[in-house]
Amino acid sequence: MRLKARTLEALYALFLLLPFLFTLLVFFLYAFLRAAYFSFTDYDLFSPPRFVGVENYLRLFREPLFLTALKHTLAYSLVVTALQTLFALLLAIALNRPLKGITAFRTVYYLPSVISTAAASLLLLWLFQRTGLVNQGLSFLLAHLPHLLALGLLFLAFQGAQVAWARRRGERVAFFDPALALLSLPLALLATYALGLFGVIGAQEVRVEIPWLPTTAKFLGIPYPLWAIILMNTYTTIPTFMVLFLAGLKGIPQSLYEAAALDGASPWITFSRITVPLLRPVLFLVVTMGLIGTLQLFDQVLFVGGSGGAPLEATITLAYYVYGNVFPSGAAPRVGLASAAALFLAGLTLLVVLLQRRFGVSERGWAG
Amino acid sequence: MRKAVWILLALSGLGALAQTQVRISGWGGTDIAIVNGLLKEVVQPKLDKEGIRVVYEPIEGDYTQWLFNALSAGTAPDLFYVDIFWSESLFATGKVEPLDRYFSKQEVAEFLPNLVQTFTYGGKLYGIPKDFNTLALEYNKDLFDEAGVKYPDQQDTWETFEAKLRQVQSKLKDVAGLCVVADFARFGPFAFATGWKPFDEKGQTVLDQNFRRAFEWYTGLVRRGAARFAQDLGEGWTGGCFGGEKAAVALEGAWIAGFLRDKAPNLKYGTTFLPLDPVTRKRGNFVFTVSWSMNAASKNKEAAAKVLKALTSPEAQQWVLERGLAIPSRKALANNPYFQRPGKEPALNRIVFQGSSAQGGVVYPFKFRGYGGDWMRPINDALLAVITGQKGVDQALKDAQAALDRLTGRK
Repeated sequence: MRLKARTLEALYALFLLLPFLFTLLVFFLYAFLRAAYFSFTDYDLFSPPRFVGVENYLRLFREPLFLTALKHTLAYSLVVTALQTLFALLLAIALNRPLKGITAFRTVYYLPSVISTAAASLLLLWLFQRTGLVNQGLSFLLAHLPHLLALGLLFLAFQGAQVAWARRRGERVAFFDPALALLSLPLALLATYALGLFGVIGAQEVRVEIPWLPTTAKFLGIPYPLWAIILMNTYTTIPTFMVLFLAGLKGIPQSLYEAAALDGASPWITFSRITVPLLRPVLFLVVTMGLIGTLQLFDQVLFVGGSGGAPLEATITLAYYVYGNVFPSGAAPRVGLASAAALFLAGLTLLVVLLQRRFGVSERGWAG
Repeated sequence: MRKAVWILLALSGLGALAQTQVRISGWGGTDIAIVNGLLKEVVQPKLDKEGIRVVYEPIEGDYTQWLFNALSAGTAPDLFYVDIFWSESLFATGKVEPLDRYFSKQEVAEFLPNLVQTFTYGGKLYGIPKDFNTLALEYNKDLFDEAGVKYPDQQDTWETFEAKLRQVQSKLKDVAGLCVVADFARFGPFAFATGWKPFDEKGQTVLDQNFRRAFEWYTGLVRRGAARFAQDLGEGWTGGCFGGEKAAVALEGAWIAGFLRDKAPNLKYGTTFLPLDPVTRKRGNFVFTVSWSMNAASKNKEAAAKVLKALTSPEAQQWVLERGLAIPSRKALANNPYFQRPGKEPALNRIVFQGSSAQGGVVYPFKFRGYGGDWMRPINDALLAVITGQKGVDQALKDAQAALDRLTGRK
């Protein structure tokens, strides 16, 4: 009788899972098996697929465009995952403080992730135009370099004087004491303004006109347009991961921090010995999701390449390579090659995540 | 009573059977209103007598992807648009019905021969051109007047044309002469004017001295103060710069008319032919064209052929032309009074129409064998690299030649 109830329960479970299982079978398993089959054939959607063995995979590694895409994908994934994890963690810690009006800040910081990738890409195009905000900002900064230098030096001078004075009176103050800086900064600002007014320092004529998008120039081995996408994507994905970290932070018992404070632990020790280890499950989730998401970068490449005028070889990623070969503009579909590239991307994603789990952060703790 | 109902039912069923349905598809956007109007006012009334019903299913989104998928899956409509750019790779699949059986030689001869030629593949005709476009030179009359420079005209060579642009750009500080794009679709005609051919007899591409001459002239326009780079003006095409009065001249086809009607209805513009190569004294051009083609798996081919004929009939093309919606592909319409009407749009359409004829000079269809965009990319990359100053002409052409050799299998 007991067994029967169990079987019934299992049947119910299966029944309730059926809709999901069905979609999984049709849209994932079937599609995956088809793609795996096509990857070993020469297929253009029309004539019947012709079996060619591993020829497609070999051809991939002879195609310069594919190798470029592979390099871009890996570089992009590493840089963005590192940046977004770091900044999301820092932001989450900052927003976890019991400050007045912190909810408003949380909302504001979450806003970027609400933007759709299409809108974000459009913003990116405008920011990085030759006459866009980035170049204008750089021009402004460089033009006012004398002012900035003067401001920095004057600040150091005022701060130094105040600190020296305080120390002579026997007070123990750090050099960058915030209370003293609060006085030094306005003083330095005023003095710089005065210097500018009397014509001691003046703005230079600087016009930065770097073509950020229509270019193949590289910085640290990554083309400029890809850097632009990196910045944009980091900016829009940080908030989502920040929320995950915030949830994780809420789960850390306050008593641990109190105990650490009683033992006189510095903020860095508290952070590295309490916060980070206890956040490991969340950290694992964030890093893994970050890697999987970044390895599949596609839409920004489409927009930045399309209306941004960025050359394909400066932005192409594996996901875009797959798309570009299924429907090459003006040519017959290369389904076999695209399937091979898609399967390669799937394998690569799995491998990267496994490697990360083995050598990086795993859900239970630091490996090794 | 019951019997009567049955008879009625049977009759209505027969009526539905007697009416053959022909499904047709094209892309969406502004085209939908045009085709709907054409169907309602010209095509369907003619077909009603024959018991044929046209069902129009426009496709929003990526039409090419949809069509390739639909043809592969066997769900494609009976008639559909085929753009010249990807026509060869589609005709090569055998999924498109050759039309020689449905159209007599005489009927085919009524269309512009070079358009018919572009839809002929392997000696068979696979599409009837519905309309076409070529490139023309549109100039902003007010800006030229303001700068006190003579309008571009059809006697202009690259040199005299460039001199006019330079004058405009130096006199009107915030207006560019032309805004250049790094796109073979606009640069191509200049290369053709020099006598350069995109493919030699072996089907390979050689970027020779002629190509280089056109390339140097076009990419140097910015440096010599006659043009600015479109992306630097925040635009993606020459028409965008023109409509925003950021450039005095545009290099576009008749499609610019609709854009300007919305964007700058009061902009006074004139149209002339592209400038001549000073060496060969010739000009070049592209033909952009779209056909109605038939599904080889269609169940009602005879009916579909009738619909195809109605869609490309003289009355249909006249209807489209008189509304200024597209340039007709029939020879007989060359002398249509529409082209002589006063106004900027008829003039634009006339120049675009003549762009495909002898006056257009060396004209190539906008297709590159089965290579499509892969063939244009090396040249576009080279144009971009030189216009933005990242590479010299030598290096850029060397890289482009290497990429084209890889593509076409030239040693």
